[in-house]
Amino acid sequence: MAVLIVVAVVVLDRATDAIGTLERRFYDFASTSSGRQPSDRIAVIAIDDQSINNIGRWPWPRDVHAQLIDLLSTAKAKTIVHTAFFFEPQTDRGLVFIRKMKDVLGQAAPTPVTEQLGQVITQAEQSLDTDAKLAASMAKAGNVLVPSFFVLGEPQGKPDTPLPAFALKSAVIEDSGFSEPAVRGQQPIEAIGNAAAGIGHLNLINDIDGTVRSEALLVNYYGKAVPSIALLAAANSLNLGVGDLKLNPGESVQIGKLRVRTDDIARMLPQFYKGRDGKPAFAVDSFYDVLTGKIPASKYANKIVLIGATAAGVGVQSPAPGYAALSPAEMLAHTTSSILGEHFIVQPGWGLLAAFGASVLIAVYLVLGLPRISAGMAGAITAVLFVGLLGTEFGLLAGTSLWLKLVFPAALLVIGHLALTTKRFLVTEAGKLRSDEESAETNRMMGLALQGQGQLDTAFDRFRRVPMSDPLMDNLYNLALDFERKRQFNKAQAIYEYMAAWKKDYKDLQTKLNRARNLSETVILGGGGSHPGGTMLLDGGAVEKPMLGRYQVEKELGKGAMGVVYLGKDPKIGRVVAIKTMALSQEFEGDELTDARERFFREAETAGRLQHQNIVTIFDAGEEHDLAYIAMEFLKGKDLVDRCKDGNLFPVPKVLSIVARVAEALAYAHRQNVVHRDIKPANIMYEVDSDTVKVTDFGIARITDSSKTKTGLVLGTPSFMSPEQIAGKKVDGRSDLYSLGVMLFQMLTGVLPFRGDSMAELMYKIANEEAPDIRIVRKDISDPLAHVVSTALAKRSDARYQDGEQFAADLRAVMAGIAGHASAATAPHPVAPAAGAAVPGPLEKTVMMNASSPAVLDGARASGASAQTLIAANSAPGYDSGHQVEAGHADVFAKTAGFNALGGSGAASAQDGKTDLDGKEPGHL
Amino acid sequence: MIYEFCIRTDPGLARENNEDSVTIDEPTRLGILADGMGGYNAGEIASGMATTFIKSELGRWLSQAGRHANGREVRRAMEICVDNANRSIFNAANSNPQYSGMGTTLVLGVFQDARLMLGHIGDSRCYRVRGAELSQVTKDHSLLQEQMDAGLITREQAAVSTNKNLVTRALGVEDAVLLEVNEHKVEAGDLYLMCSDGLSDMLEDEAIARILLPDAPLEQKTQQLVDAANANGGRDNISVLLAHAKTGPEKRGFISRLLGK
Repeated sequence: MAVLIVVAVVVLDRATDAIGTLERRFYDFASTSSGRQPSDRIAVIAIDDQSINNIGRWPWPRDVHAQLIDLLSTAKAKTIVHTAFFFEPQTDRGLVFIRKMKDVLGQAAPTPVTEQLGQVITQAEQSLDTDAKLAASMAKAGNVLVPSFFVLGEPQGKPDTPLPAFALKSAVIEDSGFSEPAVRGQQPIEAIGNAAAGIGHLNLINDIDGTVRSEALLVNYYGKAVPSIALLAAANSLNLGVGDLKLNPGESVQIGKLRVRTDDIARMLPQFYKGRDGKPAFAVDSFYDVLTGKIPASKYANKIVLIGATAAGVGVQSPAPGYAALSPAEMLAHTTSSILGEHFIVQPGWGLLAAFGASVLIAVYLVLGLPRISAGMAGAITAVLFVGLLGTEFGLLAGTSLWLKLVFPAALLVIGHLALTTKRFLVTEAGKLRSDEESAETNRMMGLALQGQGQLDTAFDRFRRVPMSDPLMDNLYNLALDFERKRQFNKAQAIYEYMAAWKKDYKDLQTKLNRARNLSETVILGGGGSHPGGTMLLDGGAVEKPMLGRYQVEKELGKGAMGVVYLGKDPKIGRVVAIKTMALSQEFEGDELTDARERFFREAETAGRLQHQNIVTIFDAGEEHDLAYIAMEFLKGKDLVDRCKDGNLFPVPKVLSIVARVAEALAYAHRQNVVHRDIKPANIMYEVDSDTVKVTDFGIARITDSSKTKTGLVLGTPSFMSPEQIAGKKVDGRSDLYSLGVMLFQMLTGVLPFRGDSMAELMYKIANEEAPDIRIVRKDISDPLAHVVSTALAKRSDARYQDGEQFAADLRAVMAGIAGHASAATAPHPVAPAAGAAVPGPLEKTVMMNASSPAVLDGARASGASAQTLIAANSAPGYDSGHQVEAGHADVFAKTAGFNALGGSGAASAQDGKTDLDGKEPGHL
Repeated sequence: MIYEFCIRTDPGLARENNEDSVTIDEPTRLGILADGMGGYNAGEIASGMATTFIKSELGRWLSQAGRHANGREVRRAMEICVDNANRSIFNAANSNPQYSGMGTTLVLGVFQDARLMLGHIGDSRCYRVRGAELSQVTKDHSLLQEQMDAGLITREQAAVSTNKNLVTRALGVEDAVLLEVNEHKVEAGDLYLMCSDGLSDMLEDEAIARILLPDAPLEQKTQQLVDAANANGGRDNISVLLAHAKTGPEKRGFISRLLGK
């Protein structure tokens, strides 16, 4: 790679001049930065626009030049160089005729008139022959140099014209190739050539970019080396002639003690001086100003005066280092000054070698060094090398006028470094991309694994770190469906939105997204009070069936005291279950919630331990989305609430058989130290067809047995509560047996043993009054049975049945007795209302008991398989007096009535939007 | 003991995709190789999940437990981790219809100082080269192996049996799986090879031994194994993991130290 780049850079340099241009530019900049001072012996007189305007159109009559030369000569200028080419004679038209007239006059006989005419004609001829005038002036001055011009090229044969004699005077014999060869030349006219002190060539060597950087000191015209006019001027100013030129081929040209270093063909690199303080390096005076004496000629005493054109349209101008355009005269000034001051720039013989060496070193660095060092280090080293190379070149040029071409190695360095670091960057980027891909795959796999473990949020986190792709979309889609199954529509929505950002039309994404949006706003399972009854969304069309734990929720069965009851299904084993849910977080806050949760699982666990044919089996309990649930055996039967009403009573033996079985179940539970605490017809399920009895809701009563709930609860039905339970004392199994006794009473008679106009009265009676003899209500009850009932309803717990077996045994004994007296078995007949009770309706208030704080009354009646609906029925003024409506708890316990159990003041609150029967059925309680 | 690891996996010649997955966690010296099964690239998912999950979870446990965790703990960690991986894959297969029925074999090794805790499920194998002898240290959970164990068929019959690929245990196909974990004593110079059946079905043990016995860089050996399996047909994905037990730190060449490599 690195080698390739080196080769490419070399090819670039050879094929194009790109790097050469840089090199030259850098040379121009560096070489003109030297501190060398121009010689003050050199003056430039310019044929500028001002002169042209005043003297007339170019070319001028040559006597104008003659005048200036005379002027300078008089002022004792050291050397005068006139850069105008005097290649053609300047002949006035009149002069031709004057000469003809002169010829005619010469043939005529001499007369005074002709003599006079002859004088006039001679005068005219003299004044009109400007060439002669100029020649005369130059001859008189004796130090005027004029230029010749050569067409450079390798001569093939012999010259068209040999150098004229006057030119030969200024030439030296040179045949060692130490000069610039020329094929043709143009010389000044003979008169001027003869009059000039020397003739030098005025050939400018333009570089490839047009800039003049070098000076050919010698131009070889068929074996004769013509020195450049600058060289000649320098020699002349030192009072030296051509004879004093000494050539050291390939190395230098010597004049006197001056050694001008050159290259193989006698070219030198002159110093181009920078102007100082806004003034040009060489002052340029106007021809006209000098001619008219505005600038005193004495200024030019002992100076080398260079005369040349700078005016627009006269002569050529070339760019030079540091200058956009220089006229030949100015160029000459720089060159001459360079020669005189030995201010030339040298390309040493070892320079090429050094540059080549530097290039090789850089190439080695690129090939071997760069790949092995760190990017930062490489950058630093490259920067140092780059600055070093250019700094060296600059320093050498500006300081010691040595030209080492180090721009190429510097360019090689920069290009190579850039290319290699780019390549390295691309490679590392590709590597990074690869490792990104790997970690993306890892994240995807971990996401799937986490999803498999049910950690959907973390799974989404992982998936989000994976770049989007179609397989990932599938994964995300399924994750969203999982969220939907868990009713977390807001999270499903987040995923759908994330997916939509990548591909809008993936599968049915838009539909899903819209529905998730709607649902996430309306339904949050187990949270938010806005969802009436906490009902799960079950019929959302394509909505995934909701999951509670491992159970798929199929439909709602009803609303219980605790929350909604669902029909669920374990998809793995196909078992159908009833799922009782309870929004604990709605009922409790803070520590209470923690307590309730703990209690919930503890009780679910205890209840789960119970395995009895007459107790509903608990399969599972769990909590999800703040919704605690218990999955239990799904029963087909109904509870016994309906069978407690007059007119719908079971026959006595059936009642006894059912109650006996419940008593046995309780006996079993009590042996396991589990107290039901809420025995009532609503909690006993009975299926007529199979004659199956099951006690439900074991232990659940205790779960929420806490003083401070948000909405008020719901535990224990006061009518069925034992006296000790009413008093808030610790209860044991005998309390359950009391409740069972109440149930037995109700199932036999259709009325409750205690009734009151108010909750307080009812509770007072339960706590204090002896239960009425059942035979008062129903006369056909046998004595043994009446005895069983009264034993069960004894106020003091130790006077009751001490365990369920005993209770059951007595009941079975009564049953046996009834079977003996078959005639006694009669259909139940209407029961007369008890005196004092307005209407013997079932009072099914559930109440949360606590000795020291407000308890809450909840009227509830069972409906559905194992659920309860609530009817608050109250009418007594005393009970009513503190009635107040609470609003804002539109939840599973929407209909609750609270009252202060202990205060007995009757302060109560009823909250019932629809079924508040207050005042409409005054006799109900 | 110092372990040098090298892994390589190749789709083989007959299959487009690679359902194998092999990875190592060098800091904890844990090697995992899984051969997935199930249509629609689900095998890739299963094996990928298995290696990724186990590398991540077990790797984390191992790095916390340190290099000298006792064998019982490591075994327990492996079992728990594989159990979790199993449930993850199983559930992923259930909740993602396109992954339904996917599963994977597994062989994983925790290399400790003088001990290798080797666990496997299914027919991905582990071989050991000790001295000049190659021996298979895992026993496949495959129908074939059980038939052989029951004496129903001989080794020779087994080699030509058609139901080579029936595994009796796999990760992710049921909600529980039993990981067989065995503890092996490691001696210096031991070379362990874990491979998918793409290698063991294509190469006789002798052929494997011929490649593993000579002294050569692991990199080269893995390449030779894969090449040899492909030369024999390459009918399944081929994955190999080599672990070489050595004493003392590896001597680095002067040049490589000089160049900082």
